[in-house]
Amino acid sequence: MEDQALLREGMVALLAENGIEVVAQADDGPGLLRIVDGHQPELAICDVRLPPTFTDEGIRAALEARRRHPDLAILVLSAYVEPVYTAELLAAGQSGVGYLLKERVSEVRTFVDSVKRVAAGGTALDREVVSALIADRDRSGDGAARLGALTPRERETLELIAQGRTNAAIAREMVVTLGAVEKHVSNIFAKLDLPAGDDDHRRVLAVLAYLRATTAQ
Amino acid sequence: MTDHGHEIDWRSVTRGAAFVPSLVLLTALVVIWAATGADYFWPMWAALGLAIPTGLWYAVRWARLRPKGGGRWYAMQASVSVVLVATCLAVWAMSGGGFFWPIFPFVALSVALALNPLAFRPGQRKLEVRVDELTRTRSGALDVQASELRRIERDLHDGAQARLVALSMQLGRAEERLADHPDSAALVRQAREEATAAIRELRDLARGIAPPVLADRGLVAAVESLASRSTVNVEVVGHLDHRLPPVVETAAYFVAAESLTNVAKHAPGASARVTLHLDGAMLVVEVADNGPGGANPAGSGLTGLKQRVEALDGRLEVHSVAREGTVVWAVLPCE
Repeated sequence: MEDQALLREGMVALLAENGIEVVAQADDGPGLLRIVDGHQPELAICDVRLPPTFTDEGIRAALEARRRHPDLAILVLSAYVEPVYTAELLAAGQSGVGYLLKERVSEVRTFVDSVKRVAAGGTALDREVVSALIADRDRSGDGAARLGALTPRERETLELIAQGRTNAAIAREMVVTLGAVEKHVSNIFAKLDLPAGDDDHRRVLAVLAYLRATTAQ
Repeated sequence: MTDHGHEIDWRSVTRGAAFVPSLVLLTALVVIWAATGADYFWPMWAALGLAIPTGLWYAVRWARLRPKGGGRWYAMQASVSVVLVATCLAVWAMSGGGFFWPIFPFVALSVALALNPLAFRPGQRKLEVRVDELTRTRSGALDVQASELRRIERDLHDGAQARLVALSMQLGRAEERLADHPDSAALVRQAREEATAAIRELRDLARGIAPPVLADRGLVAAVESLASRSTVNVEVVGHLDHRLPPVVETAAYFVAAESLTNVAKHAPGASARVTLHLDGAMLVVEVADNGPGGANPAGSGLTGLKQRVEALDGRLEVHSVAREGTVVWAVLPCE
């Protein structure tokens, strides 16, 4: 498909400009698996919809690639937010996964950060996915009361944490001081009854684990 | 007389036709015939006498298994005619042949049979053919429409939107390179933001036309996705082991979507349950909530749903009793 190729070429150029080496490209699911088996890359980026049927081949191929190579980081790009797919990706492992709306590629700096973060074993969930997940938790069961206890600023912070942002990035995004973010974070952990982790990565995992646990019920 | 479906139940044959007494009687007659000199084989007339009512009984029974309507009466006439002609043939053969008179009842009954649809129900056949044709073309048209909508959704996402994404990405790259020219960079950023807004609008448009997850993953996943977006608590119970025709999936999806929207609007504190299951070749969709009830089934949303479902020869019912919640129940034939 011509439009898809256009997008892929653009993406390759963008990544190359930002110091990320693209070892191979493919235009369908089996192609992705061949590349992953052959080149053993650190990270695979793929669309949810791939030929031949343009349904969810991308997600299925990504999950299969991940099954074959548990260390492979996976970033899925999609034309639309679908909580079902995010949940499947997270179920395959919480480190080195990302699910972003395609248009995020236009915010070059943020996108490249997300790519690097996922490649390094972090997470990058689209802010719309995160707010859908949190909105979902909001209504059901045990998590509702706890999340309800968060102030709007803390909730915003939690969404950013769940996207995989560092405290410094959150401070920039929310236009507050680093100290203020740290205070929000410790409040969140206290209110959600989570032990504070020693690093960003564990922190994200804890939040995601919490979100997923309440999704499952 | 019980209905045994389309298969022959031999136990009922022997029981229903008084088979055993008949057999005993005939055996007795044959013994008497043999004892009285085994002359002219007259017991065959008794056998014929027993065979005629039995034949008629089966003829009527067979006809009653046909589908209801004009066709059943026509089948009845045909089967009784067959029995009558067979009787005439038997009488002719048993009385020693000769002039082949059974040809007259045969011709008469055949003519009556041939004229029947015209004589008793003028236009009936034509009408049936027309109804068949209309049913077929209507479901064909709806199928085509549902698939076309999905194609449009795909084209929007994977065609126009992909191009816009490529465009906004190039703008993003240009913006990076213009770091030293803030004025130009601001202009490019504006253009990029416009492109992003267009992408968002396209996405909303595409979702309204045909929800992508419905096309990609099918009904249960799409309804689960709806549930996760709803502002009320929704439980989805359903498992379908194969994909249904697009037109059925779309109709069922909109039944769930519209009903959940109604729950969110009129019973914000309630929780709802969506049940999806196949009952033979029928898909049953039920959306039940524990809200205040008292919904107006003639409301515009529900009327629209009803029309959508009835266009597929399905049925939609709304039960809404004050203080007992609302149940929207739809059944859709899947061919």
